[in-house]
Amino acid sequence: MPKAKLGIYWAAACGGCDCSILEINEQILDVAAGAEILLWPCAADAKYEDLRNYRNGEIDIVLFNGAIRTEENREIAELIRAKAKYLVAYGSCAHTGGVIGLANLSERDRIFETVYGPRERWPRTESSLDGCVLRLPAFRTQLTPLSEAVDVDFTVPGCPPPREIVRELLTAVLSGDLPPRGTVFASSKNLCEECPRERTHERIGRILRPHEAEPDPEKCLLDQGFVCMGPATRGGCGAVCPAANMPCTGCAGPTADVPDQGAAMLNTLASLVGAGEEGETTMADEDAVLMQIEDIIGTFYRFGAATSILGRRYRERANPTDLD
Amino acid sequence: MSDRTDRFEPKIVAFLCRWCSYAGADLAGVSRLSYPPNVIPIRVNCSGRVTAGIVLRALERGADGVLIGGCHPGDCHYVSGNYKARRRIALLRRALEESGIDPRRVRLEWISASEGMKFQRTIAAFTDEIRTVGRSPVPETTAEVGADAEG
Repeated sequence: MPKAKLGIYWAAACGGCDCSILEINEQILDVAAGAEILLWPCAADAKYEDLRNYRNGEIDIVLFNGAIRTEENREIAELIRAKAKYLVAYGSCAHTGGVIGLANLSERDRIFETVYGPRERWPRTESSLDGCVLRLPAFRTQLTPLSEAVDVDFTVPGCPPPREIVRELLTAVLSGDLPPRGTVFASSKNLCEECPRERTHERIGRILRPHEAEPDPEKCLLDQGFVCMGPATRGGCGAVCPAANMPCTGCAGPTADVPDQGAAMLNTLASLVGAGEEGETTMADEDAVLMQIEDIIGTFYRFGAATSILGRRYRERANPTDLD
Repeated sequence: MSDRTDRFEPKIVAFLCRWCSYAGADLAGVSRLSYPPNVIPIRVNCSGRVTAGIVLRALERGADGVLIGGCHPGDCHYVSGNYKARRRIALLRRALEESGIDPRRVRLEWISASEGMKFQRTIAAFTDEIRTVGRSPVPETTAEVGADAEG
């Protein structure tokens, strides 16, 4: 059997996705034996020139992690799309924009100001010194997931993708037995379906953040007042965070056919707070509970800001986060 | 005349519950009460059916304002839908605020089937308010997201 030609690329990413490939432990030896790695900037030396020299469709499959933040990210995404038969959005940032999608809540100038300080230190797309011109890729006005730059064939959610799913993907890559295009390597149901905790359907009377109390390890975290994103999040990871007594933060994105994960969670939580219909709480009580949720975007849209209208920088004020 | 044509006419989507607010809108109609033509009424079974995602979708597709009309507290045909809607819209307005979209664009009102007058007043007041708030910051064309206009 011919070796599978594999590429792994990182765009705007932290590097965790590349590490997650090694999480398959000794199976990485099968990958080394069964695949020819044509591109992996994190682990192998290759230049963009090499990538340009491949024929269109020459690489069998590319696992693309990271979001589209700079013009370089977009350009390489388009190049990879042309060179690869299959393109995988690998990890939260490629899938939904990820944690770094929260940067969309700030204007680019504000981001530069925070990172680089005064304007004269900001990176320039073109600068010259001694007659030489240095060009840097532009920082785009907002961050987008991979699927907004190019067509994506498969999606592997997670921050980072969990081991069993990485195994499943790489096994499919090595055997050449790939599922139909459009497949998401995860469950089609939400996280609660695979969470071992017991639901008691209690009303939430107080919102708790993870550092404020030790959760009961058996009971549903939402029932205890912790904002657990499970109901609005795609399963497939085996509920590892709730199993470690931490609420789900929603890294796997929304379940199938739900466009806006944060909005789905917001609905869920609003329904669980208070008990207006029984007349046990007043609207003022309910509002007091709702006000205990701090940082709504950061909680409900931790990984999905870049895919929601709320993180698309439609601004009536330049930097809403300055309000405090 | 140019004053009238240049005036910003907001697009308002109103999700009205069929048991109270939609009937209230009907009453406004049969009572020949006039109200601004900016509102596009959409009948839903309950204000509790209007999820945050539906409101965001309306804003994303170009609505300048979204009104949700439900039964008065205690009157919900499905017992508690309007309470759920209230909590949901309260949270959603905070989310809008945090992300830089004016929360006044989303409003929840209790309008009963007998309150044709209140429907009229609400639409007039909301249209005026949205006119003050201004055009939706969501662009009408779907240009490539993130591309830099300045080059």
